[in-house]
Amino acid sequence: MQSNFHKKTVFSATLASMLSFLFLLICLAGALPEGFDAGSLCMEANAAEETVTLRVCNWEEYIDLGDWDEEETIELPSGDIIGENSMVEDFEEWYYETYGTRVKVEYSTFGTNEDLYNMLTLGDVYDLVCPSEYLIMKLMAEEALVPLSDAFFDRSDENNYYSRGAAPFIREIFENSQIGGEPWSKYAAGYMWGVTGLVYNPETVTEEQVSTWKVLSDPAFARQVTIKDNVRDAYFAAVGAIKSDLLTSEAFLNDPDYKKNLETEMNDTSPEMIAQVQDWLKDVKDNVYSFETDAGKADMITGKVAVNYQWSGDAVYTLDQADEDDYTLCFAVPKESTDIYFDGWVMLKRGIGDNEKKQHAAEAFINFLSRPDNAIRNMYYIGYTSVISGGDDPRMFEYAQYCYEAEDDEEEIVEYDLASFFSENPEESDGEFVIEAPAEQLNRQLYSQYPPADVIDRSSIMTYFDDEQNARINQMWINVRCFDIRKASWWSRILVIGLIILAVGYFVRRWHRNKA
Amino acid sequence: MRFSRKSLGIPYAVFLVIFVAAPLLFLFYYAFTNGQGQFTLQNFTHFFTDPNTLGTLYYSFSIALVTTLVCLLLAYPTAYILATSNLRSQSVILMLFIMPMWINFSLRITALKEILNVIEGNLAMHPFLNAVVGMTYDFMPFMILPIYTTISRLDGALREAAMDLGANTVQTFLRVTLPLSVPGIVSGVSMVFLPAMTNYVVLDMLYNSTYIMGSLIGSYFAAYDWHGGSMISLILLAMICIFTLLTGNEEDAAGGRGGALL
Repeated sequence: MQSNFHKKTVFSATLASMLSFLFLLICLAGALPEGFDAGSLCMEANAAEETVTLRVCNWEEYIDLGDWDEEETIELPSGDIIGENSMVEDFEEWYYETYGTRVKVEYSTFGTNEDLYNMLTLGDVYDLVCPSEYLIMKLMAEEALVPLSDAFFDRSDENNYYSRGAAPFIREIFENSQIGGEPWSKYAAGYMWGVTGLVYNPETVTEEQVSTWKVLSDPAFARQVTIKDNVRDAYFAAVGAIKSDLLTSEAFLNDPDYKKNLETEMNDTSPEMIAQVQDWLKDVKDNVYSFETDAGKADMITGKVAVNYQWSGDAVYTLDQADEDDYTLCFAVPKESTDIYFDGWVMLKRGIGDNEKKQHAAEAFINFLSRPDNAIRNMYYIGYTSVISGGDDPRMFEYAQYCYEAEDDEEEIVEYDLASFFSENPEESDGEFVIEAPAEQLNRQLYSQYPPADVIDRSSIMTYFDDEQNARINQMWINVRCFDIRKASWWSRILVIGLIILAVGYFVRRWHRNKA
Repeated sequence: MRFSRKSLGIPYAVFLVIFVAAPLLFLFYYAFTNGQGQFTLQNFTHFFTDPNTLGTLYYSFSIALVTTLVCLLLAYPTAYILATSNLRSQSVILMLFIMPMWINFSLRITALKEILNVIEGNLAMHPFLNAVVGMTYDFMPFMILPIYTTISRLDGALREAAMDLGANTVQTFLRVTLPLSVPGIVSGVSMVFLPAMTNYVVLDMLYNSTYIMGSLIGSYFAAYDWHGGSMISLILLAMICIFTLLTGNEEDAAGGRGGALL
């Protein structure tokens, strides 16, 4: 008996300590110093000097994962492009070949800008992240970013693909937009960009109807339109619809300071404006099919809705998918204004610190993604438009031609000038960036992927909300989305309160009885 | 130091401290502080004075109540017939009710969406109905199983005695079977009602764009307001505690039988 008990005790003690140890190990694994890898512990001593770890956090599905089929090869005059390995693997190899140092990319993803910001606040550490422009502005204002090095902007270095290849008009925006007296370009390098607009079904909706944001509150399309389920996009459309008359008036359009005025108007967050937006969005809530982030694409393709508020990159995807089902959809950008947005790479102080090797690897990563063939691979994979126009490299424009140039047997052909995106000097461009496209592309994929000059002209950047604006606008959003208790009908009140009283009474009675 | 079998509980205790106790402490901290880290009750008063947050509570309550009632009305007869009949295939039929739970819930709702779309035409016209149908569909097994177990374990002699003493079938049911199956009902109600208050994914997927408690909390965190979000979570937690306290006795009587089948 005695020995049996002893055995049991020893057994359970061993088991318990093993389990605890295992558990602790799992817990600790997350908190171990970077570069720790149980398998390579012994190598660590030799390689520690040479391996740089780069922690990258990007949007989900926002980089080429490789593994293309043979037939997916993009055949350009300057050579074929195909994604065999993932972009990250290719980078690690390229970096070793070019700079002789091993770099290990720890790649992770996030779902929304707000998620990323919360992750960073909670203490997740990354070296290089890819948020949208408004989060970049917020991070700049919070002084959380490391500036890009001077070497990064050296256009004489062949490997500086970003500085050599970024589209001129985008470089200009990055240089002219400031936060706290500093231009974006000092901290951020663009990745993808686009505008907001409306995907629509040309059979049931006219071009005239989708030429304004007011279509979202139009009773003619009751429960036939969708709007984005995030407060910024909803706010932008609301301002566009409310100020429609002003924004499209001759006087406003012909003002020499048009662009500046437009941005002021579109970023109006005065309490009066917020109140108007709230009223408009409440109407919209009763008029739309859904507030969606992802489902709208499928609802559009399956014909459940007629108009879908969409980002241009996702619009291309939606139109492509519909084409596969022989179902034609179009894309329009309302005449009032459109939100031009960017996702860009920024380096975080918390991750990079003053580690020069890390910073070099991070900047090389940006440059590698900006190399035209890689930018094309990503564009093909994601569907969004890269900020890279190629500079001296003709491949970016060749890719646009590859995608949209009309076949010889096409009946109606129009000339579509892409100078506003590709040319250093759009006004003096002599037609070298003109694509001969099928006429139907004028309001379809080509239009979404490379918006024409007039769309760029009426585009506005939406700046980030500071804490005070954020609180007011979030309250507005809650007012829109929540059920107002004052609107509850009397019979439903009686029903709910009656049932609660009944239930509580029943339990209290039983409780008393059980006690007795 | 002597080890005993109790030491086997250590890993789980560690788990509880890290993943349950610690987050709760954070929740308390954020709920009672403001952006500057000072103590405040403002988050609390705001929730009970804003007609929209109160309205959300009301709306969630309504959806949960109606869902629970519908579930109960559908589940009780099913469970009763299943438990009292002498079907040889009883366990097979019961399996059929449990089986949907093996399929991922978002897949089930996606399928339901298409079915509802055919029936209703435009889904967005009936947001409240959609929410109730979706939740009923999702939570039904949780109502059927506890009731089924309670009824099937009732001593048949009690019913026979009532019949012998002159009660007809209806009286037997109302006076004997129903009161004795209350523990199962309470267990089922608490398994349906509480999740129905917060399961906003169902609403999202079925095009109901009004917030319920779950999505309201989410919206606070998306707007970087952890303080307001934590307070609402805490209020919800308090309600769940009260509910559990009230129903605790009943569930003891049910002896966790429902859970054994799940």
